[in-house]
Amino acid sequence: MPDIDQAHEALERLDHLDRREVDRPGFDRRAFLRRTALTGVAAGSVGSILSACGSSASSGGGSSSVFGSHASYKFVFVNHVTTNPFFTPTQYGAADASSLLGCSYQWTGSESSNVNQMVNAMNSAVTAKADGIAVALIDLHAFNAPVEAAIKAGTPVVAYNADAVGNARLSYIGQDLKKAGEKMGERIVSDVGSGDVALFIATPGSANLQPRIEGAEAAVKASGKPITLHTVATGAAVPGELSTIDAYWVGHSSTKGMYAVDGGSTESLAKVMQKYGLAGKGVKAGGFDLTEQTQSLLKAGDIEFTIDQQPYLQGFLPVLQLFMYKVSGTLSGLAETDTGLKFLNKETITPYVNTKSRYEGTATAAKVIA
Amino acid sequence: MASVAGGSAAETPPAAPRDPGHSLRVPSRRELFERIVSLREGSIIVVTIVTAIYFSANTSSFFTGTNFKTLLPYFAPFAILAAGEVFVMILGEIDLSIGAMYLFAPILFYKLNTSVGLGLVPGVIVTLLLCMAVGALNGFFVAVVGINSFVVTLAMLFTFEGLALIISHGTPVATPGGQLPLDTFGKVFGGGTYSEIIWAVAIIAILQVVLTFTRWGLYTVAIGSNKLGAAEAGVQVKAVMIRNYMLCSLTAALVGIFEAVRSATVQPDPAGANEILFLAVAAGVIGGTLLTGGSGTVVGALIGALFLGILRDGLILQGVNANYLLFYTGLAVIVAMSANVYVGRARRGHGGSG
Repeated sequence: MPDIDQAHEALERLDHLDRREVDRPGFDRRAFLRRTALTGVAAGSVGSILSACGSSASSGGGSSSVFGSHASYKFVFVNHVTTNPFFTPTQYGAADASSLLGCSYQWTGSESSNVNQMVNAMNSAVTAKADGIAVALIDLHAFNAPVEAAIKAGTPVVAYNADAVGNARLSYIGQDLKKAGEKMGERIVSDVGSGDVALFIATPGSANLQPRIEGAEAAVKASGKPITLHTVATGAAVPGELSTIDAYWVGHSSTKGMYAVDGGSTESLAKVMQKYGLAGKGVKAGGFDLTEQTQSLLKAGDIEFTIDQQPYLQGFLPVLQLFMYKVSGTLSGLAETDTGLKFLNKETITPYVNTKSRYEGTATAAKVIA
Repeated sequence: MASVAGGSAAETPPAAPRDPGHSLRVPSRRELFERIVSLREGSIIVVTIVTAIYFSANTSSFFTGTNFKTLLPYFAPFAILAAGEVFVMILGEIDLSIGAMYLFAPILFYKLNTSVGLGLVPGVIVTLLLCMAVGALNGFFVAVVGINSFVVTLAMLFTFEGLALIISHGTPVATPGGQLPLDTFGKVFGGGTYSEIIWAVAIIAILQVVLTFTRWGLYTVAIGSNKLGAAEAGVQVKAVMIRNYMLCSLTAALVGIFEAVRSATVQPDPAGANEILFLAVAAGVIGGTLLTGGSGTVVGALIGALFLGILRDGLILQGVNANYLLFYTGLAVIVAMSANVYVGRARRGHGGSG
């Protein structure tokens, strides 16, 4: 069982005890407050519960009957935006693979794309003798030395979500970002044909987004059509992205098409399209990823498409690969994996809108979707 | 002890009766001894040691040689940032622009090196001088024009983060001198395992001496305690304030370059820099420097940074997930600060009336 559930359970049990006290007729407010304060202290000690869970490693359930008795491996995911909702399904994927295989995982890194913090977290993972590390290689330079050092120290490292050319990581699990950009570029060529087109990107140059811009530019150039691309940086926070894109449209209303290469910008772009009713005025738009807002605005026809890259698999497959690599004694497990490039339109988005699932991060409970 | 404290209280300006050690004169040897036994940093040292013991007992990998090296970059850069910030906080002011200097300095350094063609060391020196000029500008607006320091430095934070994005075109680049294999420059300026901690210890030692034993330090405390009184006593208030802002920008720019060399990349994303800013101010306050001014310690900034570093590293070693990390960090800071206040009260109770 992953650590996160243990902590949840502990907190919920504490909450539950308090609730019972409130419901009781002879309710003593002072005692309640004292107990609430104690809950805080108890919550603080959950850290030690967590570590206890981590160390009480045993042979993992069903997986040991298949692969033989193995230690409870612990894998660490180093992420650049740990609290970003895009990665909620990724965490579910990692949690599900971990409980399937009798392993545990840790989700850590930086909240704000700070590569120094990510490198620190990687070093801590090596120090803590993690059995494997999955890292989002958002920078072309910063992770080369740390990844080599980790592999040298005996900790296998795979990349997920973003890849860096020349990095020593053992495999990459995620979208082929350049190809995704090219496909988007081809779509821009066929949908717009000519004129000014804006490309919105949250953080230009970051290795998880920039290749998409480059791919789109390459495809447009290869087509030879008279399309002028304008790359616009929107920033990492959704409110700022919204106002940037809004202002861009107001200042450049001759723009024929607007496209975004990251989830936040796509959601903001869809909102701006809706605000000014631009789909009705013939402005083309599309983007990446599946936030709930993006889903519903795509369904309403404000944007033409969004591209799914299956974030769930970007958590599930790294655990699976690292696990296989461990139990096979490095003989098997690693494979370069493209998690896809699926264009969704007004019709094909429907099942996503109608279902709540862990695969899209919209539900916490696991269930088979019929 | 009480008699000495009482004796000095008679000579101290009335605005700072609770801090008998810091008056406008050089302290005697006996007062120095007294100051050491009743260290302002005493309580946070205790709290930090307890935190380290907790993680040592709960995580087998915490108290190891490997983790010692892992821990260094968790606190050394913040200690240097906080050391400069302490000089501004003692004035009763704040400098939020250190986040921008942290971001801006390596980009400026990159441009000076690649576009202007300056060498690595001259590039660093010019970068630091230009960042100090920004600090002087901060000080000018606060001390001479008289705008609230929060507003001035917030504006400068935006301005220079924006400028950093503009001149970098929002694109990360490889740090000059930071690529493998590292040469002497890279090893000295942040790339070596012990580079940042050596700089941190040296800078903190120097600045603590400046704060405790020089006129500059005494004037700084005097201004923070009673600005008007200090001015009437003949202190060049504006000059000292501008100087302190320049120092603060200098340390922030230095850390920006160290961190860019260490990670081999110059990042233009302001989100990461703003988080650094908050942690640095927090390290100063946790270390025992008052946000309201008049009292502070540079060594405390190091301990405060160490406490935050141990907490983050220890929690990650324990396997705490990102969503819980913030939660536990918040709880731990509250618990630690409550203990800090409690220990501090006990210390004052023991150390005499003051």
